[in-house]
Amino acid sequence: MPSGALLFQSVILGLLLGGLYALLAAGLTLYFGIMRVVMIAHSAFLILAAYLAWWSHARLGVDPLLSMVVTVPLFFGLGVLLQRLLLARLRPVTLTMMSVLLTFAIAVLIEGLLGYAFSGTQRRIQLGYGSASLGLFGARIAVVKLIAFGLAAVALLTLYLLLKRTRFGWALRATIQHPDAARLIGIDTDRIAGFGFGVGLATAAVGGTALALDTTIYPSLHWHWIGPLMAIIVVGGLGSVPGAAVAAMLLGLVQSLLQIPLGTTWAQTVFYLALFATLAFRPQGFFGGRLAQRF
Amino acid sequence: MPSASELPAAPRHRLGGLFRAVAILAVAAAVLSFPSWAPNPYILSAGVVVLNYAVLSTSWNFVGGFTGYISLGHGALAGLGGYATGLLVVRAGLPSFVALAAATLLVAAFAVPVGYAALRVRGASFVIVSIALVLILLLVFQSWASFTGGSRGLVVPRPFPGLLRPEHHRVFFYLFAALLAVALLVWWLVDRSRFGLGLKAIREDEDKAESLGTPTFGYKLVVFVVSAGFTGLAGGLYALWFGDLDPVFQFSILTGSYLVLMALLGGVRQLFGPLVGALVVGIGLEYFKVEFGNTPLHLAATGLLLALVVMFMPDGVLPALGALVDRFLRPAQSSIREVTAAELRDRGSGPPEGDRPADPPASVPVGAPDGRSAEERS
Amino acid sequence: MTSRATRGRRVTATALGAAVALLLAGCGDDGGSGSSDDPIVVGISLPLTGDFSEPGKGVQRGYEAWAKITNDNGGLLGRQVELKILDDQSNADRVVADYEQLIGKDNVDIVVGPFSTRLVVPAARVAEEYGMLFVEPAGAAKEVFAQGFKNLFYAAPAVADDHYNHLAEYLLALPPGQRPTTVAYAAMDDPFAQGTAYGLKAKLEAGGVRTVVDEVYPPNTTDFGTIAAKIAASKADMVVGGSQYQDGVNLIVALQQLDYQPKLAAFSTAPTSPEFAAAIGNKTEGILAPTGYTQKASYPSNVEFVQKYTAQFGSPPEEDEANAYTTGQVVAAAVSAVGCAEQGECQQKLVDWIRGNKVETVVGPLTWDATGKPQGAHMIQQWVGGQIQIVLPTEAKEVDVVYPKPAW
Repeated sequence: MPSGALLFQSVILGLLLGGLYALLAAGLTLYFGIMRVVMIAHSAFLILAAYLAWWSHARLGVDPLLSMVVTVPLFFGLGVLLQRLLLARLRPVTLTMMSVLLTFAIAVLIEGLLGYAFSGTQRRIQLGYGSASLGLFGARIAVVKLIAFGLAAVALLTLYLLLKRTRFGWALRATIQHPDAARLIGIDTDRIAGFGFGVGLATAAVGGTALALDTTIYPSLHWHWIGPLMAIIVVGGLGSVPGAAVAAMLLGLVQSLLQIPLGTTWAQTVFYLALFATLAFRPQGFFGGRLAQRF
Repeated sequence: MPSASELPAAPRHRLGGLFRAVAILAVAAAVLSFPSWAPNPYILSAGVVVLNYAVLSTSWNFVGGFTGYISLGHGALAGLGGYATGLLVVRAGLPSFVALAAATLLVAAFAVPVGYAALRVRGASFVIVSIALVLILLLVFQSWASFTGGSRGLVVPRPFPGLLRPEHHRVFFYLFAALLAVALLVWWLVDRSRFGLGLKAIREDEDKAESLGTPTFGYKLVVFVVSAGFTGLAGGLYALWFGDLDPVFQFSILTGSYLVLMALLGGVRQLFGPLVGALVVGIGLEYFKVEFGNTPLHLAATGLLLALVVMFMPDGVLPALGALVDRFLRPAQSSIREVTAAELRDRGSGPPEGDRPADPPASVPVGAPDGRSAEERS
Repeated sequence: MTSRATRGRRVTATALGAAVALLLAGCGDDGGSGSSDDPIVVGISLPLTGDFSEPGKGVQRGYEAWAKITNDNGGLLGRQVELKILDDQSNADRVVADYEQLIGKDNVDIVVGPFSTRLVVPAARVAEEYGMLFVEPAGAAKEVFAQGFKNLFYAAPAVADDHYNHLAEYLLALPPGQRPTTVAYAAMDDPFAQGTAYGLKAKLEAGGVRTVVDEVYPPNTTDFGTIAAKIAASKADMVVGGSQYQDGVNLIVALQQLDYQPKLAAFSTAPTSPEFAAAIGNKTEGILAPTGYTQKASYPSNVEFVQKYTAQFGSPPEEDEANAYTTGQVVAAAVSAVGCAEQGECQQKLVDWIRGNKVETVVGPLTWDATGKPQGAHMIQQWVGGQIQIVLPTEAKEVDVVYPKPAW
């Protein structure tokens, strides 16, 4: 039987990991809301951002957090271009299938280019405070993990405020909920959809930086992330950003706790079991809105 | 609407049919005689690999071609067939080809619950499940090392232990060729059946098909299971040929994407489309390996090629090229046998010459400014 | 639009074209070999891209150094040595196709092994079935020697399970009061990495040392938080990592984040890497690692190897490079002694010669048992005073073992 201290430590680790899952799942939810696109390349962009953070630290000597000054606007622009130039041009009849295939192709392309540029070697940012930690009721929290969680939390909060409190957010939500009506009241839905993709991809930039702080990265790592993320958005039900966030925290926690009795590998299966169970028994998800019906 | 113009059309069709039969016979003869003129065992083994791809992408096309549901997880089904065959031989002591048959049934049975979860709802969830399938099977086969051998791999004994390696390649070349013939025949039969008609109705407009009384879910599930069975069979045969199984390579996401690339490239609506795609991609892969040895860009090239095909030639490169040739050579071609709804729509709404990729969704008349299809909103 | 008949015709025509292309591709065959002026072509498939690309490139440098040094000394049997290296993309399907190509199409005279146990077994099977000698630098796991291969030889001092033999002897010889009583093991799910940790585990358990944690993690694990938490919670006296490079670094950092202080820490591979100290923030003191090679070894061929390798590549060789070089030395010794190097009957003579003889190499004299398993043991190194030094066996040591190790 695991000790209380170990359980507590695992809960903390699970919550810290869940925060990052939540941010990334929020991005995926956004794309799906806007265009019914399951964006397979989301986690490939995540790894790309992580590589840029690593590269700016290793080659330019800049703190990885500063790389976001470049990567966030860059990814926003890429997201807009991706939507306007590629996804919007697919045939509407086959959009669902072809968009998955297209983003899959982009993911493979990014993986290949990363491998070409940086080789398949695992990379890790070496920070002076890499092994520093804080004590909390007998558990230890690594400083880097705390920074990563803080980044994710701030980004998620920003995203929430952006959607709820700004005019752009209002227009974006209108576009998601009822595109025809949104157009009738004068919203340029094409533009808004493009910006929505930009915002979604910008979350990947933030997430990638957070990821690079404390883990190893390598080109094919994105497969390791896209599986759990897709499971999270299905379980969450694709309705709302909060739904995805709750599912992310929950599954992150369960994964972390299951690692104690089952080990690392088997614990990962929780995501896939949750995915299959949700699709088989409750395809609309557990927290989702009406969007999930047509997933 | 009978008219005089139909009279010359009939002989032309008979001629076309003849040409077609001759071409098929020629290809079959070329394939069957390949082992005797292959200059060395390496080329022969490359031929086996290409044939394996051809069988796999033809199997994939049962789902992809008829229903339009795109699976990225068929690599995992092939891997499962391979491991099931290997494990039945090694752990249960079954004779190789009995194990192969049993493994095929196991994979088909496994496809039932997977298909149930993936096909109940429509659209992207199927792709997601197919990707998840690869990832979860990789996890399980790697972790369950006491049974599967895990990362130590599984060695599948040779079915014909006495054969020298070149002979071994030759035998399996013919086995794969036979399997390919069976897969093509079944695809052809389905294509001409009522069942096939229902499946194609799903591809064109699932809601309408359903409202017209097609049991869409049942049809999709059946064809998915058939497809999985053929894929598992090909995977099992590959395992008997190759001999060494390792979860990392058996459950690779790349295999699935190669299959999609092959089928799309050749054209998913044609009987021989995936075969042609497999020949092109398979030979291309082998050729680039021999010529350029250590290029790290194979992955990037695969991704780029797939993206280009999806963006500009979603019906396949070869049909697209063919249409181009047709337009120049036979501008007055008039016999319409089978026109898909998408093609009709393109002809009706788009520019007459079918300049469709440049069509932004904003101009689509059905009022879907966000590019959402009518099928999904209902 | 098009009729089905024309569409079908077009596709079959294309299929014909593709078949013709296949035919043409098959005709570009290279000529044979065997004449005494021809170079001896050595075929190798290496993971130059993909998961194993980093060590794969190390192995490549080792082979290149061997070819250059051999040719500078006049070649083998008066013939120059030429390497033909293919990239297997770290993929087992490719590695088999590569050796098929090298043996069947390119008609090389000798084949030597690729990198990583996962690729060695399928590659060795091809070589075996074509009757080729197969000396390999990287298949250290015991499974490699359980396949019944008759032509395979591992060119290094010891298999993975024997890497920690000297350490096990040392620990079990300690007085009962000082001996570690509990050990935590964490090993990558990889035949080699797991082999090292489990070899030590078997010996310590037999000696009565208790196992309190036994974790296996997949090769792609990036977050070691929970594994480290389990190890720290067990308060084991000693931690053993069956690691490659990056996972070892990650695990050590995660353990340090939890402020876990064992009396002894042993990790395979990672601590011997030149980047190791910087990667874990220089908190290296006392970490142990087995190694099969040291640049400081005084074997005559090693002195030459280190000097010429450094001149060629600008930095001294590491273990991967040395293993590849050793492979070359073993092949060269057999070829010189038997007096031939081509496909056919010659290969069996080479196999027989290696089976019956001792070969002097940069990692010391090597002999093999009937399965091709080498009959030596690895040295144990420890980080002492900011650099990694040999501590075991006693006759080869540079400094004494530091036990218990200082805090990290």
